[in-house]
Amino acid sequence: MSVWLRRLASPRLTLPGMGLLGVGAALSYDNPVSTPVWVLVVPLALLAVNLLAAILTNARINRRGGLLVFHLALLSIVILVAIGRLTHMDAHLEMVAGNGFSADDLIEVNRGLLHHGSLDQVFFIQGPYTVDYAPGMMRGPTRSQVMVPDGSGGWEQRVIGDDKPLVLHGYRFYTTFNKGFAPVLTWMPDGGPAVTGTVHMPPYPLYDFRQANRWTPPGGKEIKFWLQLETGLSPEHAWTLDVRKARATLVLKTGGQRIELQPGQTARLPGGRLRYERLSSWMGYKLFYYPTLHWLFICAIIGVLGLAAHFWMKFATHPWPGSQTVKRGMQDNRAVRELL
Amino acid sequence: MIPHVNVVELPWLYTGLAAYALAMLISLKVVIGARGGAAGAAAVKHGHEPLVLGLIFAGVMLLAMALAERWLRIGHGPFVSLFELLISQLFSLGLVLSVAYWRLPVIRPASVVILPVIGLLGAWVLFLDPTATPFPPTYSNKWLWAHVGFGKFFLAFSLMGCGLAGVILMRRVPRLAQWFRQMPPDSVLDHLAWRFMLVALLFDSLMLIAGAVWAQDAWGRFWAWDALETSAFLNWLLLGGAIHARLTYRIPIRLGAIAILVIFVFAFLTYFGAPFYSEAAHKGVI
Repeated sequence: MSVWLRRLASPRLTLPGMGLLGVGAALSYDNPVSTPVWVLVVPLALLAVNLLAAILTNARINRRGGLLVFHLALLSIVILVAIGRLTHMDAHLEMVAGNGFSADDLIEVNRGLLHHGSLDQVFFIQGPYTVDYAPGMMRGPTRSQVMVPDGSGGWEQRVIGDDKPLVLHGYRFYTTFNKGFAPVLTWMPDGGPAVTGTVHMPPYPLYDFRQANRWTPPGGKEIKFWLQLETGLSPEHAWTLDVRKARATLVLKTGGQRIELQPGQTARLPGGRLRYERLSSWMGYKLFYYPTLHWLFICAIIGVLGLAAHFWMKFATHPWPGSQTVKRGMQDNRAVRELL
Repeated sequence: MIPHVNVVELPWLYTGLAAYALAMLISLKVVIGARGGAAGAAAVKHGHEPLVLGLIFAGVMLLAMALAERWLRIGHGPFVSLFELLISQLFSLGLVLSVAYWRLPVIRPASVVILPVIGLLGAWVLFLDPTATPFPPTYSNKWLWAHVGFGKFFLAFSLMGCGLAGVILMRRVPRLAQWFRQMPPDSVLDHLAWRFMLVALLFDSLMLIAGAVWAQDAWGRFWAWDALETSAFLNWLLLGGAIHARLTYRIPIRLGAIAILVIFVFAFLTYFGAPFYSEAAHKGVI
């Protein structure tokens, strides 16, 4: 057993493992879909086994406090990354102002095999948002208001942004550049109950020139929508997109008809009536869940501290050759050579 | 050179670069002018060293002023355009070199290898546009400071190791060997060079950690194998692998010196090459 352990602990195994990991990293560049995860998993597993065996058997590691801490931290990082990948989740979603979060709205969902978080307990309500733009349409900070249950039956308002996520039950929600407007419409069919919903327009101001979409109401004909927005957009100057101050005329085209509606107005269309209730907005979020995130950070910092402590002791025992300290009492370079 | 008006940092930049250039010329003149043979080695004078140290330090101070003036002019730190990144790099490389030059007299002749590398960056910055570029919202994060700061120390300590490795390799050429006769033997330089690389490994590790924390805050992911992340990780692996190989095998000094040069060139390309082969160095940078 100990013979096998010593073979596994051989430092001569480490270099091929690092080489394979380098190849895996190079193949993983830009996360190509065609690259299997095994290009990273295999070398990391090999290095983890090699590292564990070395920690157990190599006196040069396990009898030096700082070096031991560094290697234990490296091993912990590999294990935490593995757990993190198996339990992670990331996704995107678009939330309309006034609506609450629902896991059913998630798109582009990517989750680990063992993911079992408490997404069903996550809830918040989207509010309005503002985004600053510098001259030349360079996007600045985003401030998205959300309402979160405060745990005592009330609501707490929070303002989140691109680099200030909303964190609920370990799930992190980040705003993205993806956001826009959504007119709230009520469709009142000739024979049936009214339904209210939103039509998401393309991202704004990215597609300022193409704020259009289409929808076919139940029992009606396809309607083309076009939103004539007034947001104060000024590409040459600093500007703030404030969805509360935006105004829009909704233009409908269906069956050869062209109708312009202001909020609150209703149009008679084939198969029913359509009311433009108000202008709302939507915000695109990125969802990220990685339960070992904090532990990864802690282990990485402890590892570097261990390595630093090891170097500190090593350098203190053997001063830098040729340093001012060493030179005191040294007559020439021969003395420096003797020191080593 | 691109002429610009109202770019208040340029006079500071030019004088700082001039100080570095003068330090390089004096170092080169003294080292190259040294006579060969044992008598020549013994006759090498060190009177120029305080002047060189003073010029490097003056360059650091002048570049600090250039950075401060630019910061006041454009309203943000040197984190976005290549022009300001290079100035801050020139500042940090000079700072570490001046401290090493002061505290480790034996490495002083290696400045004839180190200063030309710094000079290369100095020449490059003269051809770049100093126009202010917008500050992305994701850059307003304290971890960016840590990430960039650790990265600069990593590159600076790698350059110190690279300077000594360069001396070891240049000594193989008989004509060039005379320049460095007054330096300790290769075994001492090798030892020193790898010490610098050990310190570089610490800062490289810290840079990766701080960068991951920043990326998590900024773009909602701590690692995405983008151009810079992949290159930086490979650089860390290369450095760690080289140190591991040196501890495991009896690597010849010359091969070790070549390894250090390769690591430095890789780091240099990671810093200054990534923007040329990737539209956005970090994913989601905008």
